Amino acid sequence: MRSTAFAPVRIIYVGVSPLKVIVAVSLAIAALLLLALGPRADEDLPKDRVVIDYWEKWTGNEELGIRDAVDDFNRTVGAEKHIYVRYVSTSTINLKTLMATAAGVPPDVAGLWDNNLVQFASLDALEPLDDLATQHGIDESTYMPVYWKGCHWNGHLYSLISTPATIAMFYNTKIFHENADRLRAVGLDPDRAPRSIDELDAYAKVLDDIGPDGHISRAGYLPLEPGWYITDTFMWFGGSIWDQKTEKFTLTDPKVVNAFKWVQSYSRRLGKDAMNEFRGGVSGGATNWASPQNPFLTSSVVMIQQGPWMANHILNYNPAMDGLKSANEENLQEPLEQRRKRIQWAAAPFPSAVPGVNDACYAPFDTLVIPKGCKHIKEAFEFIAFINRQDVMEKLCNAHSKNSPLRKVSADFLEHHKNPYIDVFEKLAASPNAQSVPQIPIMPEVGDELNNAAQSIALLQAQPEDALREAQVRLQAKYDDFMQKRRARNQ
Amino acid sequence: MTKLERRNLFKGLAFLSPWLIGFAVFTLLPIILSFYFSLCDYSLLQTPVYRGAENYRTLATDPVFWQSMRVTAKFALLALPSGMILALILALLLNVKIRGQSIYRTIIFLPSLVPAVALAMIWLWLYNPKLGLINLGLRHLGVSSPPGWLSDPVWSLPALVLMSLWGVGNTVIIYLAGLQDVPADLYEAASLDGAGTLAKIWHVTIPSISPVIFFNLIIAIIGTVQQFTLPFIMTPSGQPARATYFYTMYLYDNAFSYLKMGQGSAMAWIQLLIILALTGIAFWTSKRWVYYQGK
Repeated sequence: MRSTAFAPVRIIYVGVSPLKVIVAVSLAIAALLLLALGPRADEDLPKDRVVIDYWEKWTGNEELGIRDAVDDFNRTVGAEKHIYVRYVSTSTINLKTLMATAAGVPPDVAGLWDNNLVQFASLDALEPLDDLATQHGIDESTYMPVYWKGCHWNGHLYSLISTPATIAMFYNTKIFHENADRLRAVGLDPDRAPRSIDELDAYAKVLDDIGPDGHISRAGYLPLEPGWYITDTFMWFGGSIWDQKTEKFTLTDPKVVNAFKWVQSYSRRLGKDAMNEFRGGVSGGATNWASPQNPFLTSSVVMIQQGPWMANHILNYNPAMDGLKSANEENLQEPLEQRRKRIQWAAAPFPSAVPGVNDACYAPFDTLVIPKGCKHIKEAFEFIAFINRQDVMEKLCNAHSKNSPLRKVSADFLEHHKNPYIDVFEKLAASPNAQSVPQIPIMPEVGDELNNAAQSIALLQAQPEDALREAQVRLQAKYDDFMQKRRARNQ
Repeated sequence: MTKLERRNLFKGLAFLSPWLIGFAVFTLLPIILSFYFSLCDYSLLQTPVYRGAENYRTLATDPVFWQSMRVTAKFALLALPSGMILALILALLLNVKIRGQSIYRTIIFLPSLVPAVALAMIWLWLYNPKLGLINLGLRHLGVSSPPGWLSDPVWSLPALVLMSLWGVGNTVIIYLAGLQDVPADLYEAASLDGAGTLAKIWHVTIPSISPVIFFNLIIAIIGTVQQFTLPFIMTPSGQPARATYFYTMYLYDNAFSYLKMGQGSAMAWIQLLIILALTGIAFWTSKRWVYYQGK
């Protein structure tokens, strides 16, 4: 019986040539040796240090900037306190952090988006940092108020900042000067940016280049280009979409409605189809933004709403706009006034629709959080605190061409920054009219609903009042449901 | 069962065990758990709390759910028949014995090998309203205002349907394989009866390859209902104004952006039931139009 059962095995071996057996056995031995003695993920890590895993979203130049900061930490404070930060660059950082946290193996530090901060905190997925921040002397006096407030939820500090931004207006000074006579003819100054929404509309109208057939060759301004902050337009109209006290959405607030009416006015003036064709052709929204085809860089759109990082993109993708032949020619030691004269663009606060309300802006930021379940909380915060040191923060923000979240900035930071208009962004960050992302636990849903409403409005599919009312009803129901479930869990 | 049979059974199972364990842990268990999660309030970050059919009730009254369902249904109604018919026509043409037949077959099949992201990038440029080759061609043909394609809520879904035809190569290959099995004597008999080319296709070819058509139909139903990658890359969040917000995109958003894994699981189960129902209908009707040789 036994010999019958093994008979097929014997038959197989009989037909195999010795050479094949030698090759197969050699490969098997090589595989086993590789498994036993091959490279290990942690073999290069210092044995005498606590290893901190830091997951971050950046790639390219921005990754180089943060890697530099990580290296500085490992060389200095890390070496002194026996901590080593292992940097991992990853896409969809929120998703990866979510999965790892759910699985109980989160990174020690994660660089979440600001609109995920309250969402994660409300699900009890982040460590509160209040005590650790106090121990390191980081408090309200360290940070610009808008960012300090943005890092809090429900009375607790849940993050500090890696790099922040403020959203301003970039405008093409060359096109302004080429059209100086036409601008002056309608009483506009070609040597400065518009200072009110009415003025912005007037500048845009003059700078539009529309053919007799209605096709747009150049747009003075387009709310949908790039359209990243279209859902935040209410901030420049003095409105708010959320009342924290009553926990109610206020999308039908007349100021919010007016903001979206203004967005729609561009579709009506330029024509929905012509605008679509133009945007579809030049749009930098999704694929062309970080490329020489960015419509601001091709002079297809004269004024845009953007963050301070745009200076980096201008330098890298169209150095001619900076008066240079290549990005390598950039000399940050050149006097600021001289640099500003050389470049063919400028930045200014995006105009406010409310008379007397100056320097209104949206202030987004990149967070540094410690997910729940992290094994080295104290050591993780050492790294976060290091990044928030003035010298480190300035170096990092300069590398990213962004403003600083800290109240104190050095003169050198302002004089020799990659963005020659960084003072504009710093001023906006310090403004009492600056707003960070609304602190709503269902913020990703709010963003999607508002985006959809904004698109329907811009495409003339819906009246602003109707689209916003519908979105408000849906969002309020979702928020109430979320909070009811949260209460049921006794959170 | 004899001792030998038992021993052989154990040996067979032992050899199968890597797949069996993998299937049980990575497929069967998640399927079972997803059904349980569909009955729970579950964010991934917290313990699931049983809530009965609440997720299903919420979805039934959610206009975005129905919007995503409509978008997917429209896409399926347009893409499924057009893809099936085009693939069949191409297969019939490629089956004609002409010089360079294998080259033509390769050309038709090649596009289906292009990775989804590369495909999306190619079509984003082709659909560029100002600089794209499609509108350039239309302008040469005298169309003064060609569509805005992906930026136009009216044209964005048809644009995705048109693009889906790019990948018919796989279906064409399966049809071609089926066409090789059509008995030549049937064509000879049809010729003797005076049938022309179209009559031969209608009365001989199509009935003979009906099992292949049926197979392609089932695969196409599953593929169109699960449409995700290309719209996810090309029209994020279903832009413009949710005109291309597919069912699976909303499922993904619910589960991974809004952290409503319970609702996402419920959507997955609804999708499974829809696919099962459509497949069931296809099987039920197949008795009337699918012919198996020898039966």
